[in-house]
Amino acid sequence: MRLLLDRFPDLARSLWTDEDSVEVQIDGAAAPDLLQRLRDDPELTFWYLADAAAVDYGVDQHFEVVYHLYSDKHPAWLRIRARVDRGDPHIPTITHLWEGAMFHEREMYDMMGIIFDGNRDLRRIYMSPDYRSFPQRKDFLLPDDAADSPAAGVNPLERPETWDLTRLTDELAPGVIGHVKSET
Amino acid sequence: MTSDVQIPDPLDLERDEEARLRAAAGLAPAPRPAGEYAGFESVGLPDRPPETEREEELYTLAEGEMLVNMGPQHPSTHGVMRLVVKVRGEVVIDIDPVLGYLHRGIEKLCEEATYTTVLTYVDPMDYLASMHNEHAPAIAFEKLFGVRAPRRAEYIRALVVELNRVFSHGLMMGFLALDMGGLTPILYSFINRDEIVDMLSAISGQRMLFNFFRVGGVNFDANDEFFSRLGKWRAGVLKLVEMNERVITDNEVFRARTIAMGVLSGQEAISLGVSGPNLRASGVPFDVRKAHPYSIYPELEFEVITQQAGDSNARYLQRIAEIKQSIHLIDQIVDKMPHGPVQAQVPGIIRPKPGRAYGAVESPRGLYSVYAISDGGPNPYRFRMRDPSFISLQAIPKLMPGHLIADTMAVMASFDPVMGGVDK
Repeated sequence: MRLLLDRFPDLARSLWTDEDSVEVQIDGAAAPDLLQRLRDDPELTFWYLADAAAVDYGVDQHFEVVYHLYSDKHPAWLRIRARVDRGDPHIPTITHLWEGAMFHEREMYDMMGIIFDGNRDLRRIYMSPDYRSFPQRKDFLLPDDAADSPAAGVNPLERPETWDLTRLTDELAPGVIGHVKSET
Repeated sequence: MTSDVQIPDPLDLERDEEARLRAAAGLAPAPRPAGEYAGFESVGLPDRPPETEREEELYTLAEGEMLVNMGPQHPSTHGVMRLVVKVRGEVVIDIDPVLGYLHRGIEKLCEEATYTTVLTYVDPMDYLASMHNEHAPAIAFEKLFGVRAPRRAEYIRALVVELNRVFSHGLMMGFLALDMGGLTPILYSFINRDEIVDMLSAISGQRMLFNFFRVGGVNFDANDEFFSRLGKWRAGVLKLVEMNERVITDNEVFRARTIAMGVLSGQEAISLGVSGPNLRASGVPFDVRKAHPYSIYPELEFEVITQQAGDSNARYLQRIAEIKQSIHLIDQIVDKMPHGPVQAQVPGIIRPKPGRAYGAVESPRGLYSVYAISDGGPNPYRFRMRDPSFISLQAIPKLMPGHLIADTMAVMASFDPVMGGVDK
């Protein structure tokens, strides 16, 4: 951890540790650069991308892309939390560093709608190609029978209110847009 | 209304007749027209513009190439998965895995479930490694909640987890041979697997989806039936594995179809995120049990086994070595098992303090990890599972170009993916 601080003094304010992980918070745009330096630095050598996942912190908050790295020279997992704006969810890809990040990024795009700039295969991976919602966002409610639940009686498949209309305007038929506007 | 009469394809008859006439006249056989293969039709291009560069590249066909669907219900895809295979003749040019046929949204369901019930949801993900599926969230939730399982519970956990690894690797041996046409090994594998499953059902009460782990311990203490079954199984297991090995390892067909097939270098494997036995078969000594020790693994003696070749055969030999290693670990665990409680004091509804925790285990397929976020409520705010077979599957499109289409399944089986885990 001290080594990490020596190399990256500007990260000091966002550093946080617990029993077996070191955590760093950064801005999304800086992620690939930092990850590359962490991987290629001969004393850090975080060579294995253990996980990449997206977190939705709520409708008026932000997204986070969370990378977990492993290095055999350090006992702790390194967790990098890259902040992504919720209204404009773009972050540069890391598929040029680890090819295996491809499925991670496709899953994040499919489930959260985060767009990875530079990824050359950003397609849906679990849902069908014509599906439009992003199911793991927090405003995608699951159907629920409880009368006091915010999700009472919702349509279980698509959630038009979560669609990002600015991105999809040219894809959608005019009738669909009218339908969405009347709902929201 | 079934009939035994085979109706011949008129196209075949025409070809046969032509071939007979040509042979009679002393001519060479007719060349096959490019792009036309009797009995197969190309799957056709999607009826929408390509979304990405890669998709455009994949669905652009050159002269003589065509697309073939393998799956979703192919008998050897180990679940429901579709591979769109671009072929020229019988040679694979490119592969696009199409996933999601088994997608159940388990991560989202877990965000609506309490911490205790999450452990029941994750069982059917990687259904050959249910114990590992429960182990990773149990570790993560214990970190969140600041509770530790008693020592005896940790020993029982390690014991059931290693038993699960033995039967999962054993089944891989059987399935790999089955995908190459050998039926016998899978039967031996299932004898072994049934003995272990009966044993685990004696300790947990369930045969397949064990629901055995709890936050802060395990559900039941090990009982007499479990130990008597364990002793009986331990007496015969090495013989069973060796019997299976004897059928498979030196078999000529098996060797021809695994040696130098699907060679994955260590560097590529790391880049692709491949983990577990598949990574170690490429010579990279990365095992979470050593790399980032959890549970009681620091107290046990074992070395990380690796193979150098990186081909299908190395992945198979790696599995056999790991079965023997797991049996060795089981012996140690049973020897050292302490007495005591198996469940820490934990309230019925767990409400951890806000925070984040990462728990990783070495499952039979590799690094299985959970990233859980608590917001102080009774449900995890975010519950993320990293399934090793989902990530390892990316190696298939990299390895297969240039090989025959019939070897696709053989190489895929050597990676041992489980679609329940791939699709979550």
